[in-house]
Amino acid sequence: MEPLIGAPVARPDALAKVTGAARYPGDLDRPGTLHLKVVFAGRPHARIVGLDVTAAEAVPGVVAVLTAADVPHNAYGLVEADQPVLCGDVVRFVGDRVALVAAESQAAAEAGARLVRVVYDDLPVVSDPRAALEPGAPLVHAGRASNLVAHVPIRKGDAAAALAAADVVLEGEFRTSWQEHAFLQPEAGLAYIDEQGRVVVETAGQWLHEDRRQIAEVLGLPEEQVVVRYVAIGGAFGGREDLSVQHLLALAAWRLRRPVKIVWEREESMVGHHKRHPVQIRCTWGATRAGKIVAVRAEALADGGAYASTSQEVLKCIALFASGCYDVDHIHVDAYAVYTNNVPAGAFRGFGAPQAQFASESMVTRLAHALGMDPVAIRRINLYREGSIEPTQHPLPPGVSVRECLEACVERLAQELGGQENEAARRGPGDGERIPVPPALSWPPGHPIAAAHGPQPTALKRGWGIACGIKNLGYSFGFPEQATASVALHGGATIEHAELRIGAADVGQGVHLILRQIVAETLGVPLDVVRIIADDSAEAPNAGSASASRLTIMAGRAAHDAAAAALRLWREEEERPARATVQYCPPATTPLDPLTTAGRPNYAYGYAAQAVEVEVDTATGQVRVLRVISAHDVGRAVNRQQLEGQIEGGVAQALGYTLMEQFQMRDGRVLTPGFSTYLLPTILDTPPEIIPVVLELADPEGPYGARGVAELPLVPFAPAVAAAIHAATGVWVSDLPFTPERVLDAIAHFRQPRSRASEAGASGSVPPAAHTM
Amino acid sequence: MIPSAFDFYAPRTLDEAIALLAEHGDEAKVLAGGQSLIPAMRFRLAAPAVLVDINGIGGLDGLRETNGHLAIGALTREAALEEYTFIRERYPLLADAAHVIADPLVRNRATVGGNLAHADPANDHPAVMLAYGAELAAHGPRGARTIPIDDFFTGMFSTSLEPDELLTEIRIPRPGPGSGGAYLKVERKVGDYAISAVAVQLTMDGPTIRTIRIALTNVSPTPIRAEEAERILTGQTLTDATLEAAGQAAAAACDPSADLRGSIEYKRDLTRVLVKRAVRRAAERATK
Ligand SMILES: Cc1cc2nc3c(=O)[nH]c(=O)nc-3n(C[C@H](O)[C@H](O)[C@H](O)COP(=O)(O)OP(=O)(O)OC[C@H]3O[C@@H](n4cnc5c(N)ncnc54)[C@H](O)[C@@H]3O)c2cc1C
Repeated sequence: MEPLIGAPVARPDALAKVTGAARYPGDLDRPGTLHLKVVFAGRPHARIVGLDVTAAEAVPGVVAVLTAADVPHNAYGLVEADQPVLCGDVVRFVGDRVALVAAESQAAAEAGARLVRVVYDDLPVVSDPRAALEPGAPLVHAGRASNLVAHVPIRKGDAAAALAAADVVLEGEFRTSWQEHAFLQPEAGLAYIDEQGRVVVETAGQWLHEDRRQIAEVLGLPEEQVVVRYVAIGGAFGGREDLSVQHLLALAAWRLRRPVKIVWEREESMVGHHKRHPVQIRCTWGATRAGKIVAVRAEALADGGAYASTSQEVLKCIALFASGCYDVDHIHVDAYAVYTNNVPAGAFRGFGAPQAQFASESMVTRLAHALGMDPVAIRRINLYREGSIEPTQHPLPPGVSVRECLEACVERLAQELGGQENEAARRGPGDGERIPVPPALSWPPGHPIAAAHGPQPTALKRGWGIACGIKNLGYSFGFPEQATASVALHGGATIEHAELRIGAADVGQGVHLILRQIVAETLGVPLDVVRIIADDSAEAPNAGSASASRLTIMAGRAAHDAAAAALRLWREEEERPARATVQYCPPATTPLDPLTTAGRPNYAYGYAAQAVEVEVDTATGQVRVLRVISAHDVGRAVNRQQLEGQIEGGVAQALGYTLMEQFQMRDGRVLTPGFSTYLLPTILDTPPEIIPVVLELADPEGPYGARGVAELPLVPFAPAVAAAIHAATGVWVSDLPFTPERVLDAIAHFRQPRSRASEAGASGSVPPAAHTM
Repeated sequence: MIPSAFDFYAPRTLDEAIALLAEHGDEAKVLAGGQSLIPAMRFRLAAPAVLVDINGIGGLDGLRETNGHLAIGALTREAALEEYTFIRERYPLLADAAHVIADPLVRNRATVGGNLAHADPANDHPAVMLAYGAELAAHGPRGARTIPIDDFFTGMFSTSLEPDELLTEIRIPRPGPGSGGAYLKVERKVGDYAISAVAVQLTMDGPTIRTIRIALTNVSPTPIRAEEAERILTGQTLTDATLEAAGQAAAAACDPSADLRGSIEYKRDLTRVLVKRAVRRAAERATK
């Protein structure tokens, strides 16, 4: 039989999804279903002084209006239960839910929602995270000592002394923006009470069992009384980690004893769910003349918005990755997350790593330039290697492959640059041989020294940038980590069918197929012998969330181990079906010691390196990404097609984050609640060439050596683009996203009396055809 | 959001359509490609009580080139403009614009007439037609008339069309020898409206600009011509100094507002750069 691991098996769900046959949460219906409409606060901070639902209840067709008084336990949250299901006394952001109208029709629900009368007393709004930390700032959560959600310090060595002794010291300041998940399918679902009296919620999410836990807590029910089921999930990216409509559906079904459904409009979705954290990072990096990075000091300030969501956990990643993937002896990091009256920030593909490494990777390249080194050489000196000591003072988990990623990326880049590379680059590195750095990177053309070569002939300038990335796979810092799977083997002489039960969400990444491939390979049976039951919290065991790039490695390993155990029983015992349930627990992680900040934060990491070519129009500030090389160590490519899909999709999302996606708020109000104002890249904005480079250096823990990849394309991209812009123009941009105006601001000072130097190409003897838009 | 309720008519002839418009007056809206009107209705920025769908009326679409001009039926889809080589060859300004209006999906539905009648300063055709000095044909209960493009845009989202009049045809004077044109647009992503865009149509006499019209997109409450820039360039050869002076004149003439697309200063500076580039490109095409 052909090996199934590595085969580009086609997605079984693809046809139904592209033909519209697939059932998404918005497609669900049952006879007698009521329609729900949420009444949102629509203001960033206010006390509720009156709530009158009589007019709403009088609308024909309206069955009930639920308010805070109807919620058995009115607080929920993934990490900390600080968010009310329905606000009773105070609203803290525009998307806070105040009431829930249930009606026989959508129109009646909407009419009712418009007539719910809430009287507010506006409270002072705090929308700037730095202002939120000042003494006397308005408190987002009255009763707390301050707006601080969390502070994560990391101390290693003596950064102050090392910086004082360093040959080169650079300071940097970086800002990132909110990012909206913008999954295709807005929040939706259906809930009802089944024959056994259980509340059943059919929806989309990222973790069946966690949704169930939170819903049960809100309703004050034992978990067995709640069933969460997922139908087709139209993307997630971390945006379905927090509850959005699931608990509202459950509440209404439970209170009204009737089926209920809800479908959020895009604007409700964009205002109603959390975003990627905007982070301000100030940092100081020091190195020796020889290019050894000796110290990193960093302060990161993350706007957590109105509720905790996963801020604490994201913040730990920001702190841990403030020094990137570099072996640095002296580190001093303080990361803060604060409450504001903005939309909450939480999980988003990358979970703090993109923000932190936008700063760290930019700083490493800037150090290289300051030292007159090329950006690859400085990385070769400093990148993590097997056994490197993490910022938290313990050795990295084994399987450190960021150097291999970098070399593979540089090698591919040398090929892209064609004639410019030498013989060694063409044939690939021999033993112990190094790929020479392509000249395009060795001296950024826009660098002051390169600029001495004279002005370039047109306003369009090209450059390549390179960056590396690291991201933990799986839960960190002592958060309990496990995945459980059951396999049952049916048949007589041979295995006729195998049933895999595993509560792992297929959010579109294709993990269900991956799991079936792993089980079929382990059992030595064809793929279609393996059936998967994964979408019902009552039928499938808990495999943890679809997040942290963890399902292939965690759920995959549990499925593998359960299949292997079941196969042993099949061979050794008579009983049919042969059944095995296995809980896989990876090596333990620990929280950081509060005094020393030491600990083992993670059991596995993913690594990546990217090279990006841009073209900058130096007279308009437009940046076009032309080519992307994205090199990843995936341990083992279980399904090559899906893997490349993850890389390409990740790069497209990273491109949006880097160049155009800018969720904006002013004084707690959302300025970009739709796709005409919040810009997403389409296929026409996506680089014509995304070149995936896949390394398969087996991970010691992963099934068949596989490790996760999903978040990695998001990590090095922005700093690689920043470096490419610098290579093209000689200027650094340090605020994400790099909008044309910001880029032009960095290049041209067009606000001041104009200097014409930057417009050489916009005038003079250049053929106009050179100014291609 | 779902639009508020409306009555829907799909007339088969121009006369029927005009009769319906005359009957319903201000209450009625013409529906062409629907790519501006439907979003406006969904956002409840427009709530017409009556929609008169003109898509079923024969003869309102298509391109015709006569000796004197190119006639574009009001119902011609944007996508159609991209299909013809003669447009690319003889009407490069129009071809440039057709390629950067919205995205390919929208261009399959959106019409040239709708783009003008909507009179959105962010739309691309108004500046294009201003630069061409086009003439618009309209039909109403009082018969047919033509409107010079310079008299067409009367304010933001308002035109000199009467509520009971239909725009039926756009006539672009056929460019003579030595003519060239260009449309340059800077957008934040493919399919977005312009941060700024510039349309230029000119005729060259050897190295000298004999006539030139320059119009600007989305940098004023209405689509405008950069007349001072035109004056600066007329009768001149292309030098850095004249181009820069024209660019600055256009930047001064526009009246952009600060919004999510950019600051006032950025939009002005962009306009300056685009005027210089578009004039150069148009001139290069003219002398080819
Ligand atoms: C996502 C998106 C992006 C877009 N980007 C751009 C862009 O970059 N540049 C750009 O220029 N446009 C853009 N548009 C607008 C698009 O080109 C519109 O279609 C166009 O502005 C209107 O044309 P329409 O045929 O769709 O008109 P409709 O939407 O049907 O009508 C628009 C208005 O014109 C009136 N009208 C239409 N036809 C006539 C007629 N023959 N006589 C009298 N009145 C009439 C209608 O009553 C209505 O008031 C975009 C639209 C979308 C949805």
